[in-house]
Amino acid sequence: MKLTPLHVTKETNIQYLSHELLFLAQSGQPYRGSVYINFTSIGETFDLLDFKKYLTSLRDKKFNAEDIAFEVYETITKSIQTKNLGVIVDLTARGGIQQRLSYGAEFNAVQKENIFQVR
Amino acid sequence: MDEKNYKDKRAKEVTQLGAGHTEYKYEYAPELLETFENVHPEMDYWVTLNADEFTSLCPKTNQPDFGTLIINYIPDVKMVESKSLKLYLFSFMNSGEFHEDVVNKIGKDLVALMQPKYLEVIGLFYPRGNISIHPTFSYAKNEDKYKEIEKYRFLNRNLNPQRVG
Repeated sequence: MKLTPLHVTKETNIQYLSHELLFLAQSGQPYRGSVYINFTSIGETFDLLDFKKYLTSLRDKKFNAEDIAFEVYETITKSIQTKNLGVIVDLTARGGIQQRLSYGAEFNAVQKENIFQVR
Repeated sequence: MDEKNYKDKRAKEVTQLGAGHTEYKYEYAPELLETFENVHPEMDYWVTLNADEFTSLCPKTNQPDFGTLIINYIPDVKMVESKSLKLYLFSFMNSGEFHEDVVNKIGKDLVALMQPKYLEVIGLFYPRGNISIHPTFSYAKNEDKYKEIEKYRFLNRNLNPQRVG
């Protein structure tokens, strides 16, 4: 899926996060997690409605957990030009094992909560 | 009950736990629920099951909803097996459900399954349009003690609205 580019001021540091990532493991078991995206704009970002639809489209797609950060990274790089793009995915534990996957430039994921958002 | 009898009994009661291959369903499937026998029915004790990854769809827009479900119950003869509960809850993934409806639906399914002494289901859904919805279902067996618990918890729910719950 291609994300619609939108104009934004150059050199703006942008971080997006969603706690509503859901996709299927190869076994069919749903994986839940959070996705964090960080980049510096070189003049564009992507439409957030498109991004929400993209995240929703993953609900019935199967991935190896280790490939999910690259999947998001690739979708963004095919849609817009950025500088220092990085993607982090934190998955909830399966079988007692927690996974954090990252692809691209390193960054510190901001933990931002809504007080009424129970996770 | 000796250990062998206990293991034999548990093995006969549940089919999905330890089955090797697991089939996931993504449309409402209450037939997935399984029970095992409570071997301490003379005791009143709480069981809490927390499901942090509940998801369903808005029946109107098909947009995904997410939430945490908290199931508290006092078992009588039957208890819900947790893997079957996991599969049952996953089966809501592509079902269109209002938050208020799904909490009641799950509560009624669990009451029909177990006939517990007391049961409540609390849904803590993520905000949509800046509003988060937290419905609570409760049921009590027709005995004074459990009706009293239900009444107390109903009357005292969320007395401090500053806090989530």
